[in-house]
Amino acid sequence: MLSAHALVKRFGGTTALDGFDLDVARAEITGLIGHNGAGKTTFVEVVAGLTRPDSGQVTIGGTDALRTPRQARRLLGVAPQEPALYVSATVRDNLCLFAGLAGLSRRDQRARATALAAELLLDEVLDRPIGLLSGGQRRRVQAATALIGEPPLLLLDEPTAGADPQTREALLDAVRARATAGAAVLYTTHYLPELADLGATLAVARAGRVIARGTQRELTRGLPGELRLRFEHPPVLPERMRDTAVLADGEVRIPSADAPADLAALLAAGCLPTAVDIRRPDLDDLYRSLAIGDTPDQEPVHAA
Amino acid sequence: MPHESALRTHALVRHNTMLILREPGPIASRMIQPLVFVTLLRPLYEAAQGRIAGTEQAVFGTLVTFSLLALSIVGGSILTERVQHTWERLRTTTAHPLEILAGKGLPVLGVMLGQQALVIGFGAAVLGLPLDHLQLLGPALLCWTLALLGIGAALGTLARSQSELSAAYDIGGMLLSSLGGALVPLTALPHWVRAVAPVSPGYWAVQSLHAALAGDAGRCLITDAVLLGFALAAGLAAALGLRRGSGRSARM
Repeated sequence: MLSAHALVKRFGGTTALDGFDLDVARAEITGLIGHNGAGKTTFVEVVAGLTRPDSGQVTIGGTDALRTPRQARRLLGVAPQEPALYVSATVRDNLCLFAGLAGLSRRDQRARATALAAELLLDEVLDRPIGLLSGGQRRRVQAATALIGEPPLLLLDEPTAGADPQTREALLDAVRARATAGAAVLYTTHYLPELADLGATLAVARAGRVIARGTQRELTRGLPGELRLRFEHPPVLPERMRDTAVLADGEVRIPSADAPADLAALLAAGCLPTAVDIRRPDLDDLYRSLAIGDTPDQEPVHAA
Repeated sequence: MPHESALRTHALVRHNTMLILREPGPIASRMIQPLVFVTLLRPLYEAAQGRIAGTEQAVFGTLVTFSLLALSIVGGSILTERVQHTWERLRTTTAHPLEILAGKGLPVLGVMLGQQALVIGFGAAVLGLPLDHLQLLGPALLCWTLALLGIGAALGTLARSQSELSAAYDIGGMLLSSLGGALVPLTALPHWVRAVAPVSPGYWAVQSLHAALAGDAGRCLITDAVLLGFALAAGLAAALGLRRGSGRSARM
């Protein structure tokens, strides 16, 4: 549904996109992660038609988004990172405007606004001006303006930033429902557990490029997890674990790529824990290892 | 496609009209102030220029001065869109930039024409301003309003804050109306002011309105064309400024 290849965008001496490649299929949620300045928002702006790249290609549903951007935007719903709502207008007014711009009739605009407000827990504030809403409510309205035209491609740029758990859950449910119905979703966030909740595939950006692409399982394979152990008395660890083990919250924590083997080695060395917890590598570990640059020389991973 | 374009433009016009009506204070103020102003100042103008010329100067001077001040409605609404990032948001939809500008401009055009019609109507009904050539007065008012829309839009795209915009309107608007001979007849101003007056759109508005009142179609054609030139130049500046955008990337 979305296909971007070899995108390059420079702003003066800053290279925001440096050969950015990304494909998102129908019914797929792709989490685009990376540290600040990795190129996520510039990429979203390029796809949304707000920024023209210096070179590269973007197609949306087979339409060249750089040559015929308005035609491509028919297929697109965008929730930008920065709140972009009419604060003196009500929630209903904002939703009806974007429904109207998506081509819905007046009656359909109102019906869709009412239904979407109920879905995103906004029905009680539907006729309240945006200026009187909480940050979380505004976030939901912002996302709703992207969803209201039921577009086949959604670009959601940090839609849950600063949101409370209830808000986040409602938004995630709505996003999942669109993907289940066949929409492609590009979702940028710093809240990595959300992507696991959404069952998203991942694209990790760094320095204007996608350096890793695949499912969470594929990308975290090979990353060290952690053994968390409690002992009645301070243990004498096997020598190879002494440099990496740390003591935190009364636990001995040992990075481990093969937890059963390491646990066996501990037992063989006479270390008998009173409690054992094996923590598998998660998105945070991946994020740290790829995006932040704990392993800066790591080759790009393309698992998908 | 034309049907879809009409639907989108209609949605934008309706929305922007609603935004204006939701905060009616500035509009009401711009409507009432000139009526008070013209009533209080007419005796002064009449004493200086005689009854007919004085009334004409009072009505047209007030109209030009207060319509310049009404620029803030145009520029303010565009600056607000920029500050609230809604302009960028609209650019991510299928709406054509012309549809967005029409949606923004048409309600304001209505407000400004309404303000001018109110002043002219008040002048005719209460002060006895003769309106014998409405066919010339209408286009003159329309061209002046389009010039104001263009200038207001350009300032709205260039200003970086509401206070900067207010300063531009209050000082610039008053300067342009004075320089153009709206407040004080050019004949009563120093020679150098008369020499530079044509750089002010207010000058051409005053000339256009006087020509329309006198039934001078040839002079109206020239002055209206100049006003449309101001509208076009300012509109292009606004379009270029808006095209540049104000997204995060554009600010890098």
